[in-house]
Amino acid sequence: MFIGQDITRVDALDKVLGTAAFAHDLKKDTMLFACVVRSSRPHAMIRKIDVSAALALDGVVKVLSHKDIPGENLFGAIKKDQPFLAEGRVRYKGEAILVIVGITEEIARTASGLVEIEYEDLEYISDPFLSMRSPILIHDGGNLLSHRKVIKGDAGKGFESSDVIVENTYSTTWIDHAYMETEAGIGYTDERGHIVVASSTQNIHYKMKEIARLLAIPPEQVRVVQATTGGGFGGKLDVTVEGYIALAVYHTKRPVVMRYTREESFLGQTKRHPLYIEYKTGARKDGSLTAVEVNIVGDTGPYISYGETVCLRAAVHATGPYEVPNVLVNSRMFYTNNPVSGAMRGFGVPQLALAHESQLDEIAQRIGMDPLDIRMKNALKRGSLTATSQVLNHSAGLLETLKGIEPFWRARRKQGPGSGFGLGCMYYGIGNTGISNPSSCYLTFTPEGRVEMHSGVCDIGQGSDTVLLQILCDALGMEEMGIDLVRGDTDTSFDAGSTSASRQTYISGMAVCDAAQKMREYLEGQGYYSGKPLKDICREAAEKGLPVFNGHFDPPTTAPDPETSQGAPYATYAFATHMTEVHVDEVTGVCKAVKVHAAHDVGRAINVSNVKGQIYGGVAMGVGLALMEEFIPGKTESFDNYYLPTSMDMPEVEAIVVEDREPTGPFGAKGVGEPALIPQAAAIVNAIKDATGVRMRQLPCDIERLKLALEKNKVK
Amino acid sequence: MLPKFASVIAKTREEALSWLSSLENPRIIAGGTDLMVKMRAGKQYNHVIDVAGVPELLTLTETDEGLSLGPAITHARLSISEPIIRNARSLALACGLVGSPQIRNMGTIGGNLANASPAADSIPPLLIHDAVLVLESREARRRVPLEEVIVAPYVTSIDRKELLSSIEINPLRGYREGYRRVAKRATWAISRLGVAFAIREDKGRFADVKLAIGSCTPMPFRPKKVEDLLRGAEKSEVIITEAIRMALEEIKLISGIRPSYAYKLPVLQGILEEVLRG
Repeated sequence: MFIGQDITRVDALDKVLGTAAFAHDLKKDTMLFACVVRSSRPHAMIRKIDVSAALALDGVVKVLSHKDIPGENLFGAIKKDQPFLAEGRVRYKGEAILVIVGITEEIARTASGLVEIEYEDLEYISDPFLSMRSPILIHDGGNLLSHRKVIKGDAGKGFESSDVIVENTYSTTWIDHAYMETEAGIGYTDERGHIVVASSTQNIHYKMKEIARLLAIPPEQVRVVQATTGGGFGGKLDVTVEGYIALAVYHTKRPVVMRYTREESFLGQTKRHPLYIEYKTGARKDGSLTAVEVNIVGDTGPYISYGETVCLRAAVHATGPYEVPNVLVNSRMFYTNNPVSGAMRGFGVPQLALAHESQLDEIAQRIGMDPLDIRMKNALKRGSLTATSQVLNHSAGLLETLKGIEPFWRARRKQGPGSGFGLGCMYYGIGNTGISNPSSCYLTFTPEGRVEMHSGVCDIGQGSDTVLLQILCDALGMEEMGIDLVRGDTDTSFDAGSTSASRQTYISGMAVCDAAQKMREYLEGQGYYSGKPLKDICREAAEKGLPVFNGHFDPPTTAPDPETSQGAPYATYAFATHMTEVHVDEVTGVCKAVKVHAAHDVGRAINVSNVKGQIYGGVAMGVGLALMEEFIPGKTESFDNYYLPTSMDMPEVEAIVVEDREPTGPFGAKGVGEPALIPQAAAIVNAIKDATGVRMRQLPCDIERLKLALEKNKVK
Repeated sequence: MLPKFASVIAKTREEALSWLSSLENPRIIAGGTDLMVKMRAGKQYNHVIDVAGVPELLTLTETDEGLSLGPAITHARLSISEPIIRNARSLALACGLVGSPQIRNMGTIGGNLANASPAADSIPPLLIHDAVLVLESREARRRVPLEEVIVAPYVTSIDRKELLSSIEINPLRGYREGYRRVAKRATWAISRLGVAFAIREDKGRFADVKLAIGSCTPMPFRPKKVEDLLRGAEKSEVIITEAIRMALEEIKLISGIRPSYAYKLPVLQGILEEVLRG
């Protein structure tokens, strides 16, 4: 049995010894360095570009513009709308305009400083509210990217039948992924003439296709390899360095390396969507929710990236993990000239969790009910209907997570003034929203008698390689881990889809189970389970050609109704409850998260240490989201003025693993990556209210915002 | 990336002084936690003299008159130095809060002073200890009070050819001494506000009060009128309130009204209340 065991991660030794080759470590003989020249304006027409001084610099090999792109100059995870290199117009500060290739990194960067660009500024659409009424259009089709609704029952009638109604506005800001490793990669042409790019990425097959479109070559002539990747959190789902590297290799025929500085990563790459949320909640005196009405306005920046995804996912998760009979959600995403907002751990749901969890606490306070009791009363459970009227037929362990927290909640005691406790709950649909998002893999044998797993899953540090191996071992009934992993290479694997949406354990895990089932039948026929050694089976099979077993899984979902979003957008959901104890210094406005209990229904923990690792990391990110992280366009440049929590800001975390097994998942597993983060900020904000009487509705609740709110409260 | 530059490593004070006098536009590096950041951002310093290993600049001597600190002593060392903890507790505390462990292991007290940031943690404690800087060149040697050395944010009156050779401070014994600071996160952060204090009380009176406030005005400063008001006064809520009012007034007089004061002044008020009440 490997499932449920703390198997040491397959990547652990290399990482501990420092021998793992991250994208920044990759080198090739005769390699060139490339860097990007970026817009210094948020919105402008490019009138003139003078590259003569850059070209004159000794050691500069090429200066590439959009004119040098042989294929299509547009990329995008959902829709192709973002130029690799700007054509005549820039729509955010940091947008890529040119690629400079030099014989050293220093020369390339020096040359980029010598490029002179003349701009003619256009109106800077600085927020979505300006965007919705400005006559200036960021794209010809208008400034509204997407409008999604969730309509269930009759919200108006629901409010009429309510004893108490709470209505508030919440807002969140841009968050940087702040992975330890910035975007980087290397590219070269191989002996077949194929373009090879190895990079720090969350999805290799998607990038292979984007490079093929960019260069107008067949995808079969592009090979993308995942280097050991130092974190992703959604930021390495979009094309980052890969397109520029491929373009530079195409034109120079030499190996090209590229790595963003931290400043460049902050400036150029995607951020978490800032959302403005108007939230109205109705309930009866007994605490049961009657209706929820939510208006979400989001800032997606000038290009789509994952804007539509966040718009829809935020809408369908807007009620939180509760039974609400009447729901009306309007979720709108507008273009602006701010940084491109993209995918980031939770796709809009952490922002909504702030709102629904704050609302629930206020309802509880108004009717004199305990915050835990009101959550238990309304919790989704097996048989419940979600906001999209999906019946939860299977794993739905929210109540178990609440029960896991209950003893600590009931026993809580304030440690003097400034001490407070808060709860946060969440549910999260595993996988993409209401669309097909399959994973494939294949298994074979080596002539030496080992099983070989070919996986296109990108392990970005979360541990999917180990988890998939554990699943395979158990699915084959192996007693020891006799498996070779061939991974992260489009030449040797099938498309597993992106490492995002907490989907790899569930979806790719099922694809592995599917392939394993077929291999198992074969092994059965060969007498493996009656004691015939695998070595012998493989040796015999090798003579006829080793058999290959394909695996595939696509979670069953339905497309959301275009008007009401009703349907079953996800095959399964993860659930969680966090309880956070804070200490607020009312003199300084400093809030310290002291202790967290985090209970997660993961279906089944394939690797308990991995699950706990995700929970600890999610809590850390939640502390940042709640208390300090804020990217301010035009101001934030680096970690000098972007505050990320340190180990000293981390609370003690006690992780509680709840296993309500999901019959459609591998050995009952669901996912935990994003859920680990989602309820934490909400729990902190609720704890601050408990500690100080002040309700913070804008994130981050940094020392200055909190102090000003405390002062205001004093005056009242 | 760092721009190109030439550097020398001085082995003795004498050597440092002669490099200073002979090199054109020299720049002293003593840890580099500020200088390297500026250089990486594009500042060009052609001649860099590393004094971090000069033995004379690493000594800490305690005499009857006071303490003499070598300017190349790191924050880490000062934060755990027994004579500092005994004689200048606020300085030990402040040095223990600078940056991160890495920065404290590299950054030096002399560098912190010479950089003259309004938010330098070591400066308020040095101010309440009436620090005097010994500045030397090949030709001359002078002693200048710290208060006079910092002339504007990030600007000092130290000449390019001068070496900060020691920092002399008065010990404060029998004082309730400390350093309170506020930052945006638990560590590795620039102070939003720093208050060094040393208070001696006697039979319900403030016998002596020394205060210095950092990160609030262009240069960390001592509200001496407030100290005068409190010296010898009976310890009461009335006098504490008056003292704080005066301190806040003085800040507004120095800097005018700044947007950050909406946060800083109420916080300073709270900290001063706690500090003075004890």
